Amino acid sequence: MAFGVCSNEWGGPDTVNKKPDARKIIIDGLWRNNPVFKQVLGICSTLAVTNLVLNTVVMCVALIFTLSLSAATVSLLRKFTPRNIRMMIETLIIGFYVIIVDLVLKAYWPEMSTNLGPYVGLIITNCIVMGRCEAYGNTNPPGPAFLDGFFNALGYSFILLIIATIRELLGMGTVLGYPMPYFSGPYWDKWIIMVAPPGAFFMLGVVTWIFRSIEIRREHNTK
Amino acid sequence: MRDKWWFPVVYMFVMTSFFSSIVIGFSQVTGARVEANEHLAFEKAVLSVLPGLFNEGTSRSELHRRFVERVSSPDKKTGDAYTLKDSGQTIAYALPISGQGFWAPIKGVIGIKADLRTITGIAFYEQNETPGLGAQITKNTFRSQFQDKVISSAGKSLNMKRPSDMLGTSDVHAVTGATQTSARLERIINDALKKWLSEFAQTNGEGRTQ
Repeated sequence: MAFGVCSNEWGGPDTVNKKPDARKIIIDGLWRNNPVFKQVLGICSTLAVTNLVLNTVVMCVALIFTLSLSAATVSLLRKFTPRNIRMMIETLIIGFYVIIVDLVLKAYWPEMSTNLGPYVGLIITNCIVMGRCEAYGNTNPPGPAFLDGFFNALGYSFILLIIATIRELLGMGTVLGYPMPYFSGPYWDKWIIMVAPPGAFFMLGVVTWIFRSIEIRREHNTK
Repeated sequence: MRDKWWFPVVYMFVMTSFFSSIVIGFSQVTGARVEANEHLAFEKAVLSVLPGLFNEGTSRSELHRRFVERVSSPDKKTGDAYTLKDSGQTIAYALPISGQGFWAPIKGVIGIKADLRTITGIAFYEQNETPGLGAQITKNTFRSQFQDKVISSAGKSLNMKRPSDMLGTSDVHAVTGATQTSARLERIINDALKKWLSEFAQTNGEGRTQ
């Protein structure tokens, strides 16, 4: 059962072979085991789509959809899937949901589809999705797997939204395209670098720093 | 059965067929719509560079109807350009332009009056420039600059100047913070205009009188 040990890599040992507890899943996904600032997964899309809040919102919705349903589907099939080809099956399932999202966007929201460019398709390779399917979906019933996927995606989303809001505000003086007082005025010299790729690295670094500091202090206090 | 050597192969095959069929079915359903969207984006761009055909908030079907009714497809005489005619008289041309942008190809349409000198507008229907920077080329603030600019007969047809520079009749301001996009777009526009104008002069046997 060497594979069983492998699957602990992302989720930590506590996610396997234990009775699922909804409260714990939620807190883990949103905070204690947050995909972005704790596990540092899915960074590519964090950097790529966070320069406009609207793009980020759509990206997050797409990820929530993909991740929760993929995890649930992987979990449904877990009793039948042979261990040695499970990752191929997982990729297949993830790809399936991502293509659905991509097609829906292309058909009903073509402007957004062009805005996001290749990043919707790249959800397939988003490590969070594969990571949760491997670490949780593979070994737990569909209900908790869905919940785990959903809240991990939500944990990813709220970090992305924080980053996106700050980047769009400082870089363009707007939030969701609406001009903000002061920042869109003549006194604010727009920080173009914030909406360019380097801005994402700065923001991600700062956000990870702040959230980890809070987490460390909290852990320290509870000891 | 799960222990048999062939099980993983068959399982993978069955799973792939199952999920692929759903995706194929789904793309069949949305395919027509996706194609129509792409086509409509182009039609919208053409309409918005021709005078008096486009206003914000016009429904998709109305845009399509206007395009079909008013705009003539390119023919031998006009080269690549679409034409807007009013009772047989050419009013303006809409010339599709395309080329490499900073990240991906930029495709658009530029409108030129029947005098072959005055620009009526510019629009883009496909681009993948940096949101907030290069992608500003799709915004009205950038595009409206082109209206009534005159194609220069010497040097570059149109010039992109630094945002602080004064503008002549053939100049527009580049997008702040998007030097690459602006430079490439300038080239796309100039190459297309030059090529089209010289072809036009050849096929119609009359050059511009300057």
